Amino acid sequence: MANVQTTQAFYSLTLSPPSAPTAACTTNSIPGLKNQDQQIFEARGSSIYLHYIRENQDKTEVKMETVCSQDCFGIIRGVTSFRIPGTATDQLVISSDSGRIALVNYDATKKSFKRIHLETFGKSGIRRTVPGQYLASDPRGRCVMLASAEKNKVVYIVNRNAEANIVISSPHEANSWANLCFAICALDTGWEHPVFAALEVEYADAESDPSGAMYVAREKQLVYYTVDLGLNHVVKSWSDAVDYTANMLFGVPGGQDGPSGVLVCAEGRIYYRHDKAEPLCIPIPRRKGATEDPERKRIIVAGCLHLSKARHEFFFLLQTEDGDLFKLTMELGEDAQGRKTTPVRMVMKYYDTFPVAKTMLLIRKGYIYIAAENGNSKLYHVNDLADNLDFEPENLFSSDDVSADPAEDYTPTYFTPRQLEFTSLAADVPGLHPLMRTRVENLAPEREDAPQIYALQGTGANSVLKTLRHGLEIQEIVSSPLGEMPYDAVFALKHRASDSFHSYLLLSTAYSDRTTVLSIGDEVETMEDSPFMTARATVEARLMASTTLVQVHARGVHSILESGAVNDWPAPEHRTIVAASANDRQLLLGLSSSELAFFFMDDNGVLSQLEEMPEMSGKVTCLGVGQTPVGQQQAKFAVVGCDDNTIRVLSIELDTPLEARSVQALSAVPTSIRVVSQTDPASGTNVSYVHIGLASGLYLRAVIDDVTGELGEVRTKFLGARPTRLFPVEVEGQQGIVACSSRPWLGYNHPNSGLYTLTPLVTDGAPFVAACPFVTEQVSGLCAVQGDSLLIFSLPNIDGRLASQEVALRYTPRNMSRNLWYPIWYVVEADGNTLSQGTKKGLLTAGAAKADENENMNGIEASEQDEDALALEKHLGYSRAKGHWASCIQAIDPLTERKVTATIELEENEAALCCAVVNFESKKEELFLAVGTGQHMTPGSKLPGAEKPKGFVHMYRLTNDGKKMELVHRTQFAYPIYAVTPFQGRVAIGVKTELLIYDIGLKALLRKSRGIIVPNQIVAIETKGLRLAVADVSESVTFVVFKPSPHNRLIGFVDDSIARWSTAITLLDYETVAGGDKFGNLWVLRVPEQASREADEEGVGGYIANERGYLGGAPYRLELRSHFFAQDIPTAIQRTSLVAGGQELLFWSGLEGTMGILIPFVAREDVEFFSQLEGLVRAEEAPLAGRDHLMYRGYYVPVKGVVDGDLCERFLRLGVDAKGRIAGEVERGVGEVERKVLEMRSRVAF
Amino acid sequence: MADKLRTQQQLEALQNKYIGTGHADTTKHEWTSNIARDSYASFQGHPPLLHYMSVGMGQGMERTRMHCMESMVLPCGPAPQTEE
Repeated sequence: MANVQTTQAFYSLTLSPPSAPTAACTTNSIPGLKNQDQQIFEARGSSIYLHYIRENQDKTEVKMETVCSQDCFGIIRGVTSFRIPGTATDQLVISSDSGRIALVNYDATKKSFKRIHLETFGKSGIRRTVPGQYLASDPRGRCVMLASAEKNKVVYIVNRNAEANIVISSPHEANSWANLCFAICALDTGWEHPVFAALEVEYADAESDPSGAMYVAREKQLVYYTVDLGLNHVVKSWSDAVDYTANMLFGVPGGQDGPSGVLVCAEGRIYYRHDKAEPLCIPIPRRKGATEDPERKRIIVAGCLHLSKARHEFFFLLQTEDGDLFKLTMELGEDAQGRKTTPVRMVMKYYDTFPVAKTMLLIRKGYIYIAAENGNSKLYHVNDLADNLDFEPENLFSSDDVSADPAEDYTPTYFTPRQLEFTSLAADVPGLHPLMRTRVENLAPEREDAPQIYALQGTGANSVLKTLRHGLEIQEIVSSPLGEMPYDAVFALKHRASDSFHSYLLLSTAYSDRTTVLSIGDEVETMEDSPFMTARATVEARLMASTTLVQVHARGVHSILESGAVNDWPAPEHRTIVAASANDRQLLLGLSSSELAFFFMDDNGVLSQLEEMPEMSGKVTCLGVGQTPVGQQQAKFAVVGCDDNTIRVLSIELDTPLEARSVQALSAVPTSIRVVSQTDPASGTNVSYVHIGLASGLYLRAVIDDVTGELGEVRTKFLGARPTRLFPVEVEGQQGIVACSSRPWLGYNHPNSGLYTLTPLVTDGAPFVAACPFVTEQVSGLCAVQGDSLLIFSLPNIDGRLASQEVALRYTPRNMSRNLWYPIWYVVEADGNTLSQGTKKGLLTAGAAKADENENMNGIEASEQDEDALALEKHLGYSRAKGHWASCIQAIDPLTERKVTATIELEENEAALCCAVVNFESKKEELFLAVGTGQHMTPGSKLPGAEKPKGFVHMYRLTNDGKKMELVHRTQFAYPIYAVTPFQGRVAIGVKTELLIYDIGLKALLRKSRGIIVPNQIVAIETKGLRLAVADVSESVTFVVFKPSPHNRLIGFVDDSIARWSTAITLLDYETVAGGDKFGNLWVLRVPEQASREADEEGVGGYIANERGYLGGAPYRLELRSHFFAQDIPTAIQRTSLVAGGQELLFWSGLEGTMGILIPFVAREDVEFFSQLEGLVRAEEAPLAGRDHLMYRGYYVPVKGVVDGDLCERFLRLGVDAKGRIAGEVERGVGEVERKVLEMRSRVAF
Repeated sequence: MADKLRTQQQLEALQNKYIGTGHADTTKHEWTSNIARDSYASFQGHPPLLHYMSVGMGQGMERTRMHCMESMVLPCGPAPQTEE
């Protein structure tokens, strides 16, 4: 029994890391760059990124490039950067859940982050009183403050000592009991003592007063903490009450640049406060419009400061929660000494509207970076700083006549938002957050061999349904049909080696034994009088010895010298040439008689043959000679593949010509061999790799030992059902491989990780037959024969590994369901606190009627106006209104039409929450869509006098191949419906605590069975057979068995002992459920054997139906099999395979844009190997931000049955010494460990 | 007697350092307020959780964060009248 593995172990990997930004700041961390050339330091999830904005000469192309990224294995809460006086680069500070402050540098030589200091100040974890929630650094780079939500504040003074080392002081605490901190910021005090400002509320009085009067009288204080650098302590130096709604602080420039002090942003108003100046106040303008609530006050959510130190000028850009950006400037009055230090007036001007930012950064190069809360982060180019005050004078507001007393009323100001005026979008940073739901499915099995990932993403007007595929997007430049002839090879040749562009394109067809020559110039056209042989198929064509064009065909070798003279070498009698390969000097031919013929070309372009023609063991199917090394004339090795499933490495140096070096057996006949020298990421040197394509669709890559010619480090990947053919190409200045099977793949060294990566190319239509590089004056890309057409394309971006297409949705998507028969998705969408279409129309027509009275419509066409209005609404977002819901149901064809085919708007304040396509047993020939809704829901806050929320289930008949929906009926329920699912030809519905089974009727759904199963609220139901797994909002999963007619009973028989706030669940098999919860855990639970057996007993006479509950729950408890903290909140989890022919795994996606997998281990040795490796890597390289890795992965519940693959993959990035140490410890070679780690991922995913 | 005093002092030190450390006479109100404050601090401290709630409520994360902060002031209402 000892060898029986009782628990299933998983290997967890991240496919795409979370994209939602937590914090960001500008920095100058890369040494040697100008001060203007700022970078962006950003934290997303547990990773930190250093981005660089790369622009081309005329700034037409701007790209956000990730210079460096690292997973910190901890929850990152804040980042900041500052320059310690006298140092060359900025320090980066990370505050995380480790209870430690981490000072980090970017090491440009190693291209990695380097930790300088790690100081512990509190317990680990995210706690109320452990600093880390807020982080601020002194603008002069002298100290940093960390604060917690309650009580604690800690200041570290940072210095540079004489040895140019950075020293950090012991922590200076500024704690105050029962004190809540709402925000902190650093003041700019010039070179005087650093001051931090905080917004604080003391609750001790309010709590101890039973009458509640003290609560009403509570105050928010603006507190100054001065860091006395001389006395080395922190003192509370000033405090004053401010507007109670204040939520954010911004430091105003001080010293020579301005008056110092802070901007206190409150609801509806912004104040200027300082201990040495009079306060000022300016209202935040509200949106004007028929659909806008004139009473709604906005808060500021993000902002940035621009300070010109040369001119002592500054302004703020502040963003409201609607996304509107305002430019705030201050006018300064002169004091007695004639210095401009006293602010007299604040002026605000509407700037532009951007997506709502988590952090907004102004980059000195002239960009605004919006680290967006929802959707893609964006980089805008600033075209104009809105300095012209005469432009849009109606959008200019000032603080004149506004009282700075928060108790006094003010007259609100209004503006009309518009499209971008002063900025233009420069770059889009692709992101997947908020990822509401995903589903992996292959909707076009006849065309694609791997499934697609369908993702619901975004909120409000920017919601989309994304179709994600593993692959690189190609940019098609030309696609022209080639006619009847089935071409199977393509060669692009330069006329001379010194040319920078290709001149000839040879297309060859073995079927009709012909070659077509095209000349490449401004246009690509057929060349009539080419020097090439056109009456034969070309086996190989190449430019050799700088000027000689060599064309190999079945009957001989045709070489064209620069002078135009032609040399022909005829193949020996009764033999043909079946394979050929050449480099600059050497040419190797494989003959039909299994013999090899070898040639060497001298400087005159004449080929001289080696007399010996050694015979191979089997028929030669393919061969490849190595590339000529730079500065040498000869490559060392050639590789020959034979039909006896072997490849042989031969020496092709002139002193040892065609001497065998090594043999390797293969699993199938090799069809294509290429020897390419590529950069080895570990050593940075050029290494010869042999790439082998097999008839079985496999692809192999091995290293040829430079001395012995032995093959080593073999990596294998299955590419597709067709024989693999390989073609060397050049990608972004590096050698790569195009591998053509049933899909084309590109093999290249990934620009970020440096690792060799194999990624499919996402193309429409037929698979590639052949490919070659293609460089002309206009185009630098690739050329391929795709089916019966010639495709010329370029690869715009090889950084990403997922290609996406999107269909715009109307509101925040909540759930999706697939048509069982057609490739159509149904998506239910709902936006809370948003005006519905119907209400909006009512308001607009009322508004328009009023407008019509004043002036008649000018002759603008209504449709055009509508389109503009729609585009504007998409840009600005929907009008908000408390307690209102906007919701709709849409049918989407993601593949052929790529658009929404039907939309049904919901009215009467209903919100669609869940949906399922059902094929009722009683109506087999029809499909229905069941949509669960909620009416009058009030998330987060109860409105006084609001109606009690109700629920409905709508039934829609799906017609027109699933593209249209017709309402059949709707059935009312007492509570909102969060879960519907098809079950045994009926539909199972979760209504609060009840699980109900319904059949379809003529006017309503008909109830068939009912059971009270869970304690709170059913949020998900999964079924298999007669069993249902029901997830409760806070009480984990309950398994229910349905006893069919005549009993019609639902019996809950197993529940859980831990309260898991489930978000998504799936049944792995009949007895196992996998799911995720709101705290970011992934878990696998299993029904005990006995419970499962008893539940399956016939009828209700058995034990289970009459069993007494245990401790107020079901009779049995689920067993925990695996548990893992993923940090992100899982929104979907599914058992599926991701690649063609790949093993099944557990795929999950999270709200912040994470997509990850849990791969079940097959062999016990692997579990042991990887857990050992995980432990060793953990010990070798402790996480950067100081969190203990094991503690992090076991944040709420100790990690169980899961090996962290992301940590194992850190092995690949370790230094040579560390790799060697770890490999020695696991008693394997470094190469083997690397191969195992890489294969774990590449075998089943990407 | 000295021992008892010392224990008392130690407990007080703990209570000062770690908010929420209970004592023999912890009331239900104190206890629930403490739990609620811990929860609200956790909601805003974990970025995915704050994001999740904001999406659900159809508002920005900053507003949700303010809501959590504000709720920490008096999460369970004023303390009940105590009988003297």
